[in-house]
This record gives sequence, C-alpha cells and structure tokens, in this order.
Amino acid sequence: MSRECCKTDRIASYFRAEWGVLLAVTISGLVYNFGLLAGPWFEGKLAGCLVDILSGRSSFQAMLQLVFWYVTIIAVVQGMRYVKRFYVRRFSNNVNRRMKKVLYHNLLKKSRAELEQEGIGNVITKAISDVDDCAEGMRKFTTEVFDTGVALICYCGMLLYYDWRLTLLSLLFPPISYILAEKMKRLVQRTGAEYKKQAGKLSADTLDRVSNAITYRTFGCEAQRNETYEHQLSAYERSAVEANIWIAALPPLYHVICMVSVLFILWFGARNVLGQGWSSWDIAAFTTFLSCYTKLSVKSSKAAKLFNSVHKAQVSWKRVKPFMAQTEDSEAVPTAAADTLTVSNLSFSYPSAAPIVQDLSFTAAPGQIIGITGPVACGKSTLGKTFLCEYPYSGSIKFGDRELSDLPDPVRNSIVGYLGHDAELLNESIKNNILMGDPKDAAPYLRAVCLEQEVLRMSNGSDTIVGNGGVKLSGGQAKRLALARTICHQKPILILDDPFSALDRGTEEAVFANLKELAKDSIVLLISHRLYLFPQLEQVIWMEQGKPIVVGTHETLMKEVSEYAELYNAQEGGRPDEL
Amino acid sequence: MQNSIMRRREDARMNCNKNVLRIVAGTAKRFHWLAAGVLLAVVGSVVTTLIPPLVLGTVVDQLTAGAAIPVSLVVLYFALIALSGVLESSRESLLIVFGQKITHALRSKLSEKLTRLSADSLNQQEPGSVVARFVGDVNTVETLFTSGIISMFADACKIVSILIIVWTKTTGLAVLLLLLLPFIFLFTRSVQKKTLTAQLANRAAVSRATNHVPESLRCIRTIHTLGKEQYMEKRYDDYIGQSYQAIEKTNFYDSIYSPVILILNAIIVASVMLLSASGNPNILTFFGMSVGTSVTIINYITQIFAPLESLGMEIQTIQSAVAGARRIDGFLAQPERCAAESVPTETPDSPCVELRNVTFGYDENTVLHNVSFCVNSGEQVTITGRTGAGKSTMFKLLLGLYQPQSGEVLINGMSASAIADSAKRRIFGYVDQSFHMVPGTIKDQITLFDQSITDEMVQSAARLTGLHETICNLEHGYETECAPALLSQGQWQLLSIARAVAAQPQILLLDEITANLDVETERAVLKALRNVSADRTVVSISHRIYECEGGRMISI
Repeated sequence: MSRECCKTDRIASYFRAEWGVLLAVTISGLVYNFGLLAGPWFEGKLAGCLVDILSGRSSFQAMLQLVFWYVTIIAVVQGMRYVKRFYVRRFSNNVNRRMKKVLYHNLLKKSRAELEQEGIGNVITKAISDVDDCAEGMRKFTTEVFDTGVALICYCGMLLYYDWRLTLLSLLFPPISYILAEKMKRLVQRTGAEYKKQAGKLSADTLDRVSNAITYRTFGCEAQRNETYEHQLSAYERSAVEANIWIAALPPLYHVICMVSVLFILWFGARNVLGQGWSSWDIAAFTTFLSCYTKLSVKSSKAAKLFNSVHKAQVSWKRVKPFMAQTEDSEAVPTAAADTLTVSNLSFSYPSAAPIVQDLSFTAAPGQIIGITGPVACGKSTLGKTFLCEYPYSGSIKFGDRELSDLPDPVRNSIVGYLGHDAELLNESIKNNILMGDPKDAAPYLRAVCLEQEVLRMSNGSDTIVGNGGVKLSGGQAKRLALARTICHQKPILILDDPFSALDRGTEEAVFANLKELAKDSIVLLISHRLYLFPQLEQVIWMEQGKPIVVGTHETLMKEVSEYAELYNAQEGGRPDEL
Repeated sequence: MQNSIMRRREDARMNCNKNVLRIVAGTAKRFHWLAAGVLLAVVGSVVTTLIPPLVLGTVVDQLTAGAAIPVSLVVLYFALIALSGVLESSRESLLIVFGQKITHALRSKLSEKLTRLSADSLNQQEPGSVVARFVGDVNTVETLFTSGIISMFADACKIVSILIIVWTKTTGLAVLLLLLLPFIFLFTRSVQKKTLTAQLANRAAVSRATNHVPESLRCIRTIHTLGKEQYMEKRYDDYIGQSYQAIEKTNFYDSIYSPVILILNAIIVASVMLLSASGNPNILTFFGMSVGTSVTIINYITQIFAPLESLGMEIQTIQSAVAGARRIDGFLAQPERCAAESVPTETPDSPCVELRNVTFGYDENTVLHNVSFCVNSGEQVTITGRTGAGKSTMFKLLLGLYQPQSGEVLINGMSASAIADSAKRRIFGYVDQSFHMVPGTIKDQITLFDQSITDEMVQSAARLTGLHETICNLEHGYETECAPALLSQGQWQLLSIARAVAAQPQILLLDEITANLDVETERAVLKALRNVSADRTVVSISHRIYECEGGRMISI
C-alpha cells in the first residue's frame, strides 16, 4: 500500500488514493454537464432555423450545418457521460475493495472470545455490509456533485442569461418542493423502519410456521398458528403500504410543485417573444428556456438524493470507522520444536461461572498420547479449549519452560494445534481444506485418515467442493477431513476433541495407528467418550462433575475409578454404540 | 376414503399453473373498486402526459404568427401537467395497495395449503426453500403484476398513443419511427440481457465474498490456531476481485446504453428537421410541419424512448417472475391430506388404542406387516422390536399423520386419521428423542401458542416434570425467551414432556425419549415420567423405561 492510504480510518485517504480516477471523473463530469446545455440550446436553434427557412430568411444549408453540429456535440457529450460513469464506478469499487480488505484483516485479528462473547464478530460482519452502503454513498456523492450540482449551476446560468427576472421568478418554486420533501422525510423514514421490522418478523414467523410444522401438527395447533400468521400478514400489509406509498406517491407531486413556474414562463416568455417583456426573445429562446427549465426541475428533484446519499454514507461510515485502524501484520512464526508439557494445579472457569476444571496436574513428553474422558458435560471439551488460552486460567501450563498464557498469540499458535467438535470446514475443495494454501501434496494426509478411497470416488476427487460447513460430506468424512488438516499442520501439542466420533471401530483403529505414527514428535491430548483405544494410551485423565480429576494409566483407573471401569466394560461388552 | 384422495390429487394436478392467476383474479374481483381505480389511473396518466406537448405546439404556432397567447392556454398547459402528476401519484399508490392485497392473498393461501399438506409432503419440505416461496417468490409475483404486466400495459399504451399523434402530425416521421422502433427495441433487449448475465455473475461472486465472512467467523479457531490469516485474506480478496470484474462488465453495458439511445434521439430529431427544411414539395407532403409542430414532435421523440426502455425491463421482470409464480404453483399442487373432523369420546367398551391388521409402508417398502394389538385405558405398555421394525412409524399412524395401507388404527374405537386437529392435544401427548424448540418464551414452548392452555395448566405441567423451580429461577421466569444455551439437554427433554402433558392428554406416546441423554439425566427424566404417567395410558418405545415397572411388552 502506498503512503497516502495508510490512515485507513480517514475517509479522505480513500479519495486521495484514487486521485487519478477522480481526475478522470472530474474532467468528463464537467464536460458532460456543461454539454447538457447543448440539447435545449440546439433544439431551440433548430426550431428558430425552421421558422427562418419557412419564412424564406434562411437556407437549407444553414439547417444542414446546424444539424451536423447538433449531432456531433450530443455524441461528444454522451461519450463523456460514458467515461464519467465508468470511472465513478471504478472509484467506488476500489474504495469498497480497500475498505473491506482492512475490515476483514482486523476481523481476523480479533480473538475468538471477543468475536463470540462480545458479539464483535457480528458487528464487524455488519460493518462489512455497511461498507457497501458507504462506498455506494461515496459513488453517489461523486456522481451527484457533477450530475446535480454542476448541472444545476449550468442550467441556472443559462436561464439567467436568457432572462434573469423570469428566472428568479421561476426558481421560487423548486425550493418549496424541497422543503416539503424534507418535512416528509421523517415520515418516510419512520414508516420505512417499521416496514423493515415487519418484513423481518414475517420471515421469522414463516420460518417458524414451516420448520415446526410437524410439531404443530402433532399437537393439533396448526389452525391457531395460521390465525396468528394471518394477523402478521395484515400487519405486514399495512406497514408495506404505509412505507411504500410515501416513497412512490410523493415525487410526482413534488414535480408538479416545481412545474408551477411554467405558468410564468409561458406567460412572460410569450410577452418576451412578442417584444413586450423584460427581454427580447425569438422562438428559439422561448423553447430553449422552457425545455431548460423542465430539465432543471427534473434534476433538482434529485438534489435531495445528493444529501441523502451523503447522509447515508456518513451514518454507515460511523459504524465502519472504529474497525478501520490499520493494524500491523504479525510475523509468521515457524512451528515450535517438540518439548515437554507440564500442567500444574490448573483450574479453569468461564468468566463469572462455576469452575469446570479444578486442580489438574500432569506432565507429558513428546510422542505421548493422553486420553481425556468422563461422562457427558463433565467439562472435557472445556479442558481441551483451556490450552487455547481464549480465557485466562489459573495454575500453570508450561511448554518447555514457557507459560502458555504469557506467549503472544502467534507464538502460542505455533505450539498448540486444536481440532474441536465442529470440523470448521471451509466451503472450498477437499484439497484446499487440508492444505489451506500450503504448497504440499494432500494425498498422504487423506490416506492417514482413511479418506483417500472415498475421495477418489467423488466426481472431482480432491477438488470436490465440500459445501457450506462441509454439508456435502457425511459427518464422519467431515471429521476425518478436519483431522487430516490438523495433521497436515502439525504442532508440538495437538488437542483433538472427539476426532473419531462418527467412525466405525475398524476405521477408528486404523486412523489411530496412523495418527500415532505421524504425530510421534507431538503430545496428543485425545478427548473421547469411547474408551476402547484407551489401553494403548500413556495416560488417561478422568473428569466427573463435582469430583476431583483423576490422572493415571488405563490400568490404574480401571482399578481405582469404578465409573471408568463401568464405562469401559460397557463399551467392550458389545453394548450398542451410543451413536 | 382412498377415492377422495385420488380425486383431490387429480384436482391438484388440474389446478397446476392456474393457481397463482386464480388467486390474483380473485383479489381483483374482491377489491373490484381498487382494480378499477388502478386501470383508470393507468390510462388517465398516459393520456394526460401526452397532451401537454400538443398545447405547447399551439402556443408556439400562435407566437410564430405574432399573436398573443390567451391566459386560458397557459393555465390549460399547467393544469394538464398537474393532472398528470396527480394521476401518476394515485396510480403508484393504488398499485402499491393492490400489490399488497395480492401478496396477502397469496401468503394466506400458502399457509392454508401448509395445513392441508400431507405429512409425507410436509416432511419433504426444506424449510429454507419454503420460506423462499412464502417471502421471495410471492414478492416476485407481486412485481410480476405491478411492475410487470400493468406497467407494460401502460408503456405499450404510451408508445401506441405517441405513434398515433405523430402520425396525425407528420405521416413520414411515424413511418420512420415504426421502422426504427423494432431495431431499437432489439438493441435494448440485447443490452438488457447482457447486463442481466453480468449481474448474475456478479451476484454469485458477491455472495461468495459475503459468505466468506461468516464462514471465517465460524472457522476462526482453525484460522487462528493454524495461523492462516493471510491465506484467508487472500481468498477474500480473490472473491472481491471476481465480483469486481463482473461489476465492471455491468458498468460497461449500463454506461453504454443511454448514450447510444440519446445519440439516436438526436439523429432522428436532426433528420426530421432536415426533411422539413428541405423545401422539396414531395418530401414536405410527408414531413412538412409548422414550427409549433416541430417543437411538439421533438418533445414526443424524447418521450418515446423511455417507455421503450421500460418495456424491455418489464419483459425481464416478467421472465424472472414467472419462475417464481411457477414455484408457487408447484407448492400449491402438492398432495393434501384428508380433512379430519371427528372428535372421539371415551367409550368404555372399546380399547383405548387398537391396531387391527395394520400394514403400512413408505413407497414400496412395507414397514409394518399385519400388526394387531390393543392397549386398554390406563395401561402402560412398551413396544419392542428390532431397529427399523417400524416402531416410530406406528406412532405416526397413531397420531393420524399417516393412514395405514390396510387395516385399522383406532383410538377409542375411532379411526386415528379422522380425529380433528383441535381434539388431538386432549388425546395425545407425544415426546420423541429430542426437543423441538419453537421461537418464543418457556411458556410458549409448553403451550405451543395454544391459548386454551392456561397459566395454571402450564405451571402444573412444569411441576409434574420437576422443572418449575428451574424455570422460576430464570431471569423472567416463564416469560424467558428461549435459546439453546438456556437449559441443559436433559432439561429441554423435561420441557418436551411438560409440553406433551400440558393439555392433560389421555394417552402418552414416548419415542425413545432418553436416547440422547446420559445416565444421570435419564434418571431425572424417568422420575418425571413416573409422575406424569399416573392415570394415563402410556405407549412407549424404549428398552429402559418400563421394563422394571412390570408393564406389558408388545413385540412388533
């Protein structure tokens, strides 16, 4: 990025950055809008020339010449219009793109806690859609400065040139229509907001009616729901009519108010032509003046638009601005080397909530796989997330001799890898989901998670797009794909939350064997509620709500924790799988 | 019964593609004054916009002749402009009112249809796309009529009227215009089509870029832990870049059209002027005109291009809206269930629940083969059978959602599918594996917006399931808005039991209600169940619930 646009939270910086494009807009805009006068002027001249020819005072040659210039000038002016429009849009596109880039960059910089708990994620998402409004407002502003501002000045100048007294008299009326429009604006906005609210409610009610239809039918409530829906429809209809009627019905009336002036123009203009008025006119002047005024009144109804668009852009910019500060790019940190993990007296609770993890201590060396298990809702997933330091913990988690919570985010991310309940797949190809831009071959990772054959059978192989959130994959496939991604970006500590949940036992064991081999330099924390792999693990952590956490080997836990033994035996005893 | 379904389906097929039209016509008939007003305003505004240039022509002619113009002519000119403004304004207003009447009627019909859909079709609905039918497609149909057909009519009127006026003034120009208009129209259409293609490409690119943001939020943990911020930023920029390129194309067509039309306009005006100034008597018979007429004509030529352009847009609107109308027709043509009206009463001599030789299947796969059993009033039984034996399906038959292919499903001696919707809740309480949340408060979850369920009934249902205290401890008690994180999974399941028993039904149907719960929560749910099943007939699918209570087992 160049120097000018470094202050990304200043709107002027965007105008400065686009000065070349804006220059093109200015030149073409000035030429075009000044050239607009040519239309009425020539049309008047043409009529005048016809009068002269019909009365024998002029020749066909004169008309030919006039016509030639008329067409040529119009062509040039319209050409300029094309240039202007093209560059104005390019300007707004560039601004839009640059703003979104900054916003998105800053969005990714936020921590998950900020994004989710404080709702900043939604705020920034809204801000990104505000950018559209903002850039659109800047485009309209740039357009209207010329198309309304310059054009109005030109038209006024021309009218004044023909007859300044008549012009002043005529110009009394357009302001009346502005004032009225301004007065009505509040009503338009209020009804518009109400309409938007009703529209949102209608969508929500429709979704409820449809998605819960079976529930309502089972309980015989459909008729009552329809009645409520009918009420909502009436409310929607009322608000839609109220909101739209003002928008559609008023502009023609404003135009009528502007056109009151034609009474004067016709009357005094006629006197001018007949030589009894304030100026001496010919027919050409008369028609030019009238058509010029008509165009002015149409244009001037758009003056309100100029202010509206500026206002709208300002409002959206205000929402966007707080997130627009330029942030530094953090240096990419290479993956950390293997080291030991020492957890001592670790406790964790979400802010102002009951503690979930209490007083946990254990150590692990590279190559070890540690199982974490316990009944549903015992906090084992939370324990896994504690290592991500999204919220502060008490006690200590040391990697080597470094305390995790003291490390800057990029450094910590070079140590801890995490695979959560949600596979968090992107709506991209299978390959891209694994590599995420790394220049590697995806096949070994697909093989490691026993997904290779399935992928080969898909129509586009590893280029198959997985759909939004991975909808085109089965639950087990999505989970394995995410596991492949995690292994591909291996870190010294890997936290895997239930990575095998949707797999059958044979596949699970094969994937586990591959994992053990591929992650032999890492410490793996394996959170699972299925225990048949646990005898192969170095350590097992047993968690149960309200009870102290037990750390030991599978054998010691089998002896000491009856719930663990019960769970293990139940699963080994061929009880149908919980899934 | 079977016959009537067949007939209904036949009817539905016949109605296909006519439903939307019929509804719109019905609306026009119901609000006939409104419809007449729309028509009047449309024609009126066309006529009044076309007269002022004629008056202006007279003014110019008089001036050319050196005569003063009467005040009446000046006032007439303005009065016509004012009248056309007023008519335009009322046309727009009436169209909005009429359009909203149409959308209301369409949505009412759609929601009625939803109630009549068979359970089978109801299950096949994808909520998102049905909402799109209700909201988006209905709106397009409204545009189809207001901005499409009606505006098209107005624009066609305008073009024809201008041509007629021009014809009376100078025949030659009218012929010239008639020859040119088709070409201009073709040009307009081709530009519009190309714009549309570019817009569609743009929309696709924009939605990809837009989706990228929530997607990043969803995957933020992965992005952070893998350090993939830059990769994601590059993807985002690529997507924006794609939409940018598509927009560039739209811009091109957008910027090229009006200049071309306006230059053409100038050329036509120029040639008219040249021809009338030619002095050649042969040409003048066709093109000769007074100065006033020339002013009028210039005015009209400028006016004829606008409706031509709108005509093109209207064709486009209609084309895209017809698809929406078709989708709505498709929805309305789906098979319906039979209306059920009877309200069964408890008859002492017939068993509470009875299946007689019931056979049922979806499509060709028969799920239930000749099943028969009875459950007496107050009895608590467990249905057993292997997975896929049709236990849940049997419940759907009991609830009257489906009809058996042969045999009879009787509730208190009456066919289950004949029970009126309004009577259902007093007969059945149904609980399945998971809780189905509806948007609303805790109370709404229990009542399902049924006004006949009083607050006392709500609270006593909650007490029975042991949820009352939990609910009272919530910030707004029973009026707390529900969100998935509000209660635990087990508590939600208790709430669905409260929902089932709120109307004090005679029969409870329990379908694997503890399947998704851990042992601890299961205990709480079973305790609640013991409370609610006293004095009720209970039919349950589960191997865990009643086996220790000594209830009867029925194997299917």
